[in-house]
Amino acid sequence: MKKILIVDDEQDIVESLKFVLESADYCCYCAYNGEDGLKAAKELVPDLIILDVMMPKINGYKISRLLKYDNKYKNIPILMITARSQAEDKLIGEETGADEYITKPFDLEEVVKIVDKYLK
Amino acid sequence: MNRILFITSNSEISKKFSEIFSSKSLFDYTTSSDKTMILDMVNVFPPDIIITDAISKDVDYKEILRKIKIINDNIIIILYSKDEIQRELAKYANAIITPSMSDSLINSIIQMNLKTKNSLEKLSNTNRDLAESLYRLNTLYNTSSQFAGTLDKEKLLNYMIEGMDKALSFSLTILLSFCSENEPVLILNSLYEISDELMSAIKLRTILNYKSLFDGKELPYELDEKNLKIVKLVKHPANRFTFNLFQFDNMFTPINLGDDFFGCVEIFKDVSFSTEDATCFQTIARQVTLPLKSAILYQELIETNKKLEKLERMKSEFISIVSHELRTPLTSIKNSLDILSGGRCGEITENAAKFFDMAKRNVQGLSRIINDLLDLSKIEAGKMTFNFKTTNIKPVIEYVKSSLSGVAKSANLNLVVNIDENLPDITADSQRLEQVLTNLVSNAIKFTPSGKNIYINAALTNSENIKQNEVFAEDISKLSGDYILVSVKDEGIGIDSKDLLRAFDKFAQIENSLSRKVGGTGLGLPIAKQLLEAHKGTIWCESELDKGSTFYFAVPIIKTPEFAAL
Repeated sequence: MKKILIVDDEQDIVESLKFVLESADYCCYCAYNGEDGLKAAKELVPDLIILDVMMPKINGYKISRLLKYDNKYKNIPILMITARSQAEDKLIGEETGADEYITKPFDLEEVVKIVDKYLK
Repeated sequence: MNRILFITSNSEISKKFSEIFSSKSLFDYTTSSDKTMILDMVNVFPPDIIITDAISKDVDYKEILRKIKIINDNIIIILYSKDEIQRELAKYANAIITPSMSDSLINSIIQMNLKTKNSLEKLSNTNRDLAESLYRLNTLYNTSSQFAGTLDKEKLLNYMIEGMDKALSFSLTILLSFCSENEPVLILNSLYEISDELMSAIKLRTILNYKSLFDGKELPYELDEKNLKIVKLVKHPANRFTFNLFQFDNMFTPINLGDDFFGCVEIFKDVSFSTEDATCFQTIARQVTLPLKSAILYQELIETNKKLEKLERMKSEFISIVSHELRTPLTSIKNSLDILSGGRCGEITENAAKFFDMAKRNVQGLSRIINDLLDLSKIEAGKMTFNFKTTNIKPVIEYVKSSLSGVAKSANLNLVVNIDENLPDITADSQRLEQVLTNLVSNAIKFTPSGKNIYINAALTNSENIKQNEVFAEDISKLSGDYILVSVKDEGIGIDSKDLLRAFDKFAQIENSLSRKVGGTGLGLPIAKQLLEAHKGTIWCESELDKGSTFYFAVPIIKTPEFAAL
């Protein structure tokens, strides 16, 4: 079973993503802040990571960059969730290396389709 | 009474002349032949005429006459001699009389010379006055050009004092001003150091002066001795005013423009001021008021601008935060609805499906509003990014048609598209144009009863061929050159002409969507207007109630490099 790491400080969103992905036969791991997310990514080495942009301490762009510059993890596909806020727009200029971007509010079926594209 | 000085040592001649003059009683005369005394007399009490026989062994008349001319060139010198006059003496004389002349002739020669002298004196006085006026005018001119050159309140007041000093050379000015944050400041410009006693007298005097200006009425600003700030500028600090101010002549004036009161100024001088001085003083004090008013307004404008900028920033941040904060819970709601309505947590009854639909539709509407708000705030903050490329309108229209035909079909409406052949390319962000057209067509679908048609046309046109429109005349008049004109015509409810402009006004639309009084079209039209303006185009609408509306937008035909230059 493929491993997916979901990193978002919004528990509700993590919950719903986990629900649909598990119904689609993926094994989900969750982290609720950037620090835990980065640690989990390095320990688990998942097959795909879903990352929220705005998080306390370490934001999603930073995690994505750190992983993409590391040979060990650079092949893990990253799905970035953004809320299109102006604070995020400022960050967008940075090189993040994410493979896909999904804007809130997103369609769960859409997320499953994208994940399938990378893992099936 | 004219004064005459008679210089001779010959008592007979002096007697003769005293008879001539005393009969007219017009002349004073003095007889003397002492050189030092003559020069002293000329110096201290200058005569109008000097008559001399210039004969004396002891006195060098040449030297005396020369000195007299140096002391006062206006004095008329008449030589009285029966012999031929020495050339050296003759050159100092205005006239020569001889004993052979009759008394009346001598008298008329003297009268004539006196007349000439009086006219000359008048002329020279006038000249002096003119020169003085010219200097004053020049000072006034310089001062007013200095006034025009600054918007700084303190500088303006300094220029005023400088101007008064140049024009009136005062000993002391007392300027009470309320310009800086309305705090009272007393600025003293003084020739000499001011003693403590004088200082407290000045303070008291100024406060009384100020209060007397308003004569019991309400004062524009509170003023007492304690909150009075003092600035002292002394030209010669080594000397000190040791006398009473009442020994000086003074002038006082308020500095105000209508009801705007800026302060008052009093100036002191050790000699009397003339009427011209007073005019000059008033003029300078009046001249400074308008620049002062501008300076204060300018200052206020800068402060208001700063506040507005801050508000604008706060608004942007607010919208950003709100939209982010709204999006996250909205996502959770949408996700939960999707999971439940997808039947993943149990069977969905027909009724439940209806209400899930309703909830999902509203979540979508809500997220559209949030997107619109964000778009609008981005455009306003100039943060909206456009991807301008050479493109064609045809694929844009075809994309919108295909994406909305499903919705149109379910509302039993027919989308009729008519695009002219071979339309030239435009420089545009096709995604943004799709956004505009999608909005126009969705609105048309929303407001058209079933069974009718919605027409989408695109054609090449020139600004001169665009039909005039009363409501949007201003926007249309700005167009010039060739345009792609796209129109969306519906057979819907139409818009009242008085509401047409409001449809494109973001504030009116925000108000509408908040109050829900009118079925607001949302922020789509205001956004469309802004998007088209970014394309150097415009959008407008023709409408008739119950007949339908036609929305037009025009995108200029400009090649990409030229567009980049705009």
